[in-house]
Amino acid sequence: MKRFIAILLAVAMVLSLSACQFLPKLEDPDTTPAATMQPEDAANAVDKILEGKTFENVYKTYFSSSYASFNYYSTAYATVREIIANCIDGLVEPNTYGVYVPSLAESWKSNEDQTVWTFKIREGLKWIDHTGKETEYAVTAQDFVDGIRYIGDPLNGAYSLRVVRNLIEGLYDYYWLLDDIDSGTVTDTTREDAVATFDEVVGVKAIDEYTVEYTLTSSAPYFLSLIESSMLMLPVEYEYAMSLGEDFAIDNEHMLYCGAYYVSAFERDKAITLTANPNYWDKENVTIETVEYQMIPDGTTSLEMFKRGETDYTSVEAEAYLSLQGTEWADNLLPTSHSFSTNYLWLDFAGENPEFNKFINNENFRKALMYSLNRESLASLREPVDPKRILRNTINAEGAIYDSNGVDYTDYSPLKEIKETDYNQPELAKQYMEAAIKELCDENGNIIGCEPTTVDYLPVCSFDVDGKLPVTICYVGTDDEAEIIMAQLFKAMIEESIGADYIDFQIQAYSGWTYGTVADPLNYDIYFDSLSTGYADPSGILTRMTTDGAENVGKYNVPEFDALIEKALAATTFEERLQYFAEAEAYLCGNGFVIPFISSLRGYYMSYSVPYTSPLTLYGNTKYKGTLVMSEPLTKAEFDVFEAAYDVERAEALKAN
Amino acid sequence: MGKYILKRTLNSLLTVIIVFVAVFMLLRLMPLSGYFPQDMLKETDEATRMSYLRNQGLLDHPVKQLFRFIGNLFQGDLGRSLTVYPKVPISTLLAEKIPVTAAFGFSSMLLGIVLGLSLGLLMVRFKDRWGDRLGTGYILIVRAIPNLIYLFFIQVWISLWFNLPMVFKKDLPSSWILPVICLSLGSIAWYALWLRRFMVDEENRDYVKFALVKGLPKKQVLRRHIFKNAIIPLVIYLPSDLLFIISGSLVIESLYAIPGTGGLLTTAIKSQDNNLVQVIVLMYAVLSVIGVFLGDLLVAAVDPRIKLTEEE
Repeated sequence: MKRFIAILLAVAMVLSLSACQFLPKLEDPDTTPAATMQPEDAANAVDKILEGKTFENVYKTYFSSSYASFNYYSTAYATVREIIANCIDGLVEPNTYGVYVPSLAESWKSNEDQTVWTFKIREGLKWIDHTGKETEYAVTAQDFVDGIRYIGDPLNGAYSLRVVRNLIEGLYDYYWLLDDIDSGTVTDTTREDAVATFDEVVGVKAIDEYTVEYTLTSSAPYFLSLIESSMLMLPVEYEYAMSLGEDFAIDNEHMLYCGAYYVSAFERDKAITLTANPNYWDKENVTIETVEYQMIPDGTTSLEMFKRGETDYTSVEAEAYLSLQGTEWADNLLPTSHSFSTNYLWLDFAGENPEFNKFINNENFRKALMYSLNRESLASLREPVDPKRILRNTINAEGAIYDSNGVDYTDYSPLKEIKETDYNQPELAKQYMEAAIKELCDENGNIIGCEPTTVDYLPVCSFDVDGKLPVTICYVGTDDEAEIIMAQLFKAMIEESIGADYIDFQIQAYSGWTYGTVADPLNYDIYFDSLSTGYADPSGILTRMTTDGAENVGKYNVPEFDALIEKALAATTFEERLQYFAEAEAYLCGNGFVIPFISSLRGYYMSYSVPYTSPLTLYGNTKYKGTLVMSEPLTKAEFDVFEAAYDVERAEALKAN
Repeated sequence: MGKYILKRTLNSLLTVIIVFVAVFMLLRLMPLSGYFPQDMLKETDEATRMSYLRNQGLLDHPVKQLFRFIGNLFQGDLGRSLTVYPKVPISTLLAEKIPVTAAFGFSSMLLGIVLGLSLGLLMVRFKDRWGDRLGTGYILIVRAIPNLIYLFFIQVWISLWFNLPMVFKKDLPSSWILPVICLSLGSIAWYALWLRRFMVDEENRDYVKFALVKGLPKKQVLRRHIFKNAIIPLVIYLPSDLLFIISGSLVIESLYAIPGTGGLLTTAIKSQDNNLVQVIVLMYAVLSVIGVFLGDLLVAAVDPRIKLTEEE
């Protein structure tokens, strides 16, 4: 039965790949009329398009998974972020070009080594409730201090605490002191006494009513992007939150708002309505009066509803994109713009499989694996229309991190070379494999120092190895249909490039908690995962990938990489810091310790909104402030014109920053 | 009768306790990593995770957790959701979700019974003729074709042809039509199939032949004698069906974005939301035993031949 399913899947995969060759290609953006426009022509064309439009003040959109809770400190759900991004303002926010501009903070400054950041808060702002009425509570510097106080208490169960807890001076020790008291490990002080020390020991202070100062454990030139990306840096009216206890933000009526919108109606798992905050400090720039969310659980329904005018936005998967070609909607299909999440192969350097263990610690073998992958074919599974746009060879995403001269981090040498390498070189892969075999096997194909044994990867799988070639590799993926097809493709590529005489690539589809059951206990040889650039600094990912880093799931040992990370963290300028990080990342990727291959970008969308009118939230979530909603859907031709004009304006804005 | 009710109540209570304790203890055997979403596992270190679990009381001895849960239960506190709707009181969740699901469930059950029994009668009345063939065709389609195919067809195309909403909207009555129809398709087929089967079976009994020979009109025999006897095996399921209208349908609620209980238990089990699983299992266990109990009483009420206790 398993074999039958495997054959069926393989046939499906081959058919789908063959079909890809006949798919229509997206127009090359460089050859579209808009791309060749002069800047002033593009700006004029934009004005001309907008002149003929009428605009709506209601935007209808959807969510596809539950909004479990609005508690922005403790929720694990990414979907909550979008609501919060529009309802609770942070200290700063990006403008439409991604340049940080004042939000609740009117101004800010940092010391020379960027370890102390001081923000001057707007005066006279009040928190509002779910009816839009002003409350007695003013928005002050203390609210930002109290936000950190809230997340610093383990009893409040703050989520994704690691970065902020490690960065703010004293917060790590404060958190663990409370935890030790709670667990009974520390008995010589009381919880009340420990909590009372917060203002003294934690590096966040309300200097006066409208000035908040953060003292950090290390230089953080990326601090503003962290404010954008992390909900943990948002303010809270502490007295109000504490009075609610566990009920804080469980729905729209149990929270307060200080952003452009408030949640005026909330029906769990069904509908959410955002209404413009009548007292908002920047209400002149709030263009949409009401944002109506409704639950639409699948893409097909949202697409149909978009066609019927019941929603102003829909995502369009690649399959639907193809089915819309030749219809009246073909001109409205727009490519999604970016994803900072990278898919990569994680390799197990300390697992129980002695054959793989021997080989994976050999540089030639790792390079054989790297050069055996045809990334474009892999990308075709996710993005059959234009697979090249999702290829990625680096861990940190391109377009995510820029130095002060506007140079993209991934264009720093030697990372740039990694980024531009074509790793689809099966002959080179075979040569590397033969070199590895020479180093690791005797002339009879016995792997030196490797005995026959049974590998116990239970509960995932268990299998026998004979200590001889071919090297048995256990690839573990989920039982998701798309992932199984991807695994089949890995197998076909690797066995074909390196040779089935040398590699026996076995696939184990496992349903369940892949991290807790597969990755953490090292029950795999190769597995597939993703990482995302969370803010404008490579440290977000790379410091977690050191030999003793939390993200070193495969347990490799890379002192050279660790040393480069240390140098980057000690760098005196941001450019120097990026240079060391780029060298470190290039070392990790170039030597095959991890194998990034595609981004998580996928699909297309259709929309009634004018592009580039919302803040460019690279690390945070969509903000509706400033968004213009048309009464008819945007066309690709119009999008190209907007894009051409925007690219020129953004380049100038970044230069001027 | 009083003795019977007391005996059944005690048996039912024991069943509920066994089911509940077994589920409670089984949940504690699940891996601790299951309490965290995938990205949270990657984001947090072991110490932070253990701190979170300890603060939630999940590291306490299972027996201590059991007694704490029961203690809270007696104070009317069902606890809070752990992972699916973090910190939201379970009583709030159920109060929000059960009425929606129950309204859909009751409407579709009513539709299912009325149309299902009517179709069953039609099939028997016109046995081996057009009515029967039509009914058999319907039953075959509903039972043989994977439901997603026709459900999806109804949602996309029927909604388009009749200008009906594609998803449920609380304040839009027309948005109830398609989900209720979809929910009742299966039960219409079920009632029709079994009623036809039982009625055809009854038709061959001697008392029916005797009634016909005596000159009673076939229509009257069908309605007054055959139907009455054939309905008895179906009646036993009615109380359970009625009580379980609150369990909802995972597929249809998801398709029409109905914020009900369909799939809540599955999601809770997958996310290891112990508190939510415990409450739902307890609720379903109680409803099951009540349903079976009421089914027995109802059968005894409609069929005088059935006695629940032995005659003295």
